Amino acid sequence: MQLTPDQTVVFTLGQWQVNATIVNTWIVMILLAGISMLVTRNLRADKAPGRWRSALELIVTMIQGQIEEVTRSSARHVLYFAGTLFLFIAASNVLTVIPGFVPPTSSLSTTVALTLSVLVAIPLFGIAKGGVRQYLRKFIEPSMIMLPFNIIGEFSRGVSLAIRLYGNVMSGVVIAAILLSIAPFFFPVVMDMLGLLTGFIQAYIFAILATVYISSAMADPPLDTSDKDK
Amino acid sequence: MSIDWITVLAQIANFLVLLWLLKRFLYRPILDGIDAREAEIAKRMADAELAQQEAKAAERQYIKQRAQLVSEQDALLEKALQATEKKRDGLLSDARTQLQQEQQNWRKYLEHERQAFNQRLQQTGADALLRLTRKALHDLADEHLEDAIVRHIGQRLKPIAAELVQAAAGSQQAQVTTRDALPAATQALLQKEVQQWLPDVTLSFATDPQQSPGVIMQVGGAQVAWTTDSYMDELAELLTQHTSSVAAVHLTADGR
Repeated sequence: MQLTPDQTVVFTLGQWQVNATIVNTWIVMILLAGISMLVTRNLRADKAPGRWRSALELIVTMIQGQIEEVTRSSARHVLYFAGTLFLFIAASNVLTVIPGFVPPTSSLSTTVALTLSVLVAIPLFGIAKGGVRQYLRKFIEPSMIMLPFNIIGEFSRGVSLAIRLYGNVMSGVVIAAILLSIAPFFFPVVMDMLGLLTGFIQAYIFAILATVYISSAMADPPLDTSDKDK
Repeated sequence: MSIDWITVLAQIANFLVLLWLLKRFLYRPILDGIDAREAEIAKRMADAELAQQEAKAAERQYIKQRAQLVSEQDALLEKALQATEKKRDGLLSDARTQLQQEQQNWRKYLEHERQAFNQRLQQTGADALLRLTRKALHDLADEHLEDAIVRHIGQRLKPIAAELVQAAAGSQQAQVTTRDALPAATQALLQKEVQQWLPDVTLSFATDPQQSPGVIMQVGGAQVAWTTDSYMDELAELLTQHTSSVAAVHLTADGR
């Protein structure tokens, strides 16, 4: 039994073996980008939105609303990043209902890649907002002693993000495969329904956590109480 | 559970590509569309607000114009009333003036008629008085009026003889005028009476139909008259008083 689609080689490009994780990621990408292109190709301000456009507007505004609730601001760059995380993870998890499709999020390589993206994005957003000095200063808050703990905390939350998503998705797929061998007609349906729910929840949690980390990096530093006392 | 770092790099690249694709084809068009639609709604709301303000302004203008029209209408009405009153006053004034003029004309006409009536009455009265006097003298004394007058002249010349001589200033001609021609006997009698006091004066006789009954003698610069004028004046005065009282009664009766 294969626990990760990384081990499934779909085709080979020269010496590079293209595995199912990458191919399935491309499928999800084509699906998301294709639908977006089809719906938004002829947008006009004076024309009433159609059914598909309304659905996309609803999704985007919901994501934007959630991000604004967390960050208390309406930065579009955060929306692009966190929204893409959510849509990619959610679409990957939803596609588990298609028989034979292994979601790329069940690959630790994918979750690590997404986590690395988040870990890189956090300082980038923080530096873009307040500069390098302000971002680095957070590691020595409230005192210099906290520097190693803050560094460990920064990496550990990245690791937890990756492991959480990978564990949940991979376990769901594995359990579904095991139950399919025991009771092929009943349990897969239930597990797929649960998989849809947990898939959305995982996508939401991953995106929200990423947003929280980014917003904490973008947050203004606390006021210096010693200066205030003077 | 293993990590394929090549796959990790590929997935990072895939994620970045997906990020760009969704940004290009999903977020931007959708958010820009929403912004454009909200801007369009805001613009329409602003237009509606502007239209509402314009409608309110037009309503205020209409109310103002209507009030102004009512005010102008009142002013025109007041002006027309004043013009009507002025016209009425003018017409009344003209009517009063015309009435006064007509009353004045009527009074003039009445006065004229009264004077003409008095004149006719005086003439008729004088004629009647003279005729009656003459008839009475003839019937009662078998004497002519002219003879009696001539005899009376003789008596009246006596007190003024000296003044007449002085007035004659050596003139030898005197003019005697009567309304009707005097009989020859009467002329001779008058000549005789005058010559008692003016012996050098010769009388010449003439008639004047406009003269009152009686005799008028012109000697040099003096004139002596014995006519019925004084009696006629008294008669005219009596008649005038009578006709005036009658006219007053008539006017009072008309003024009721």
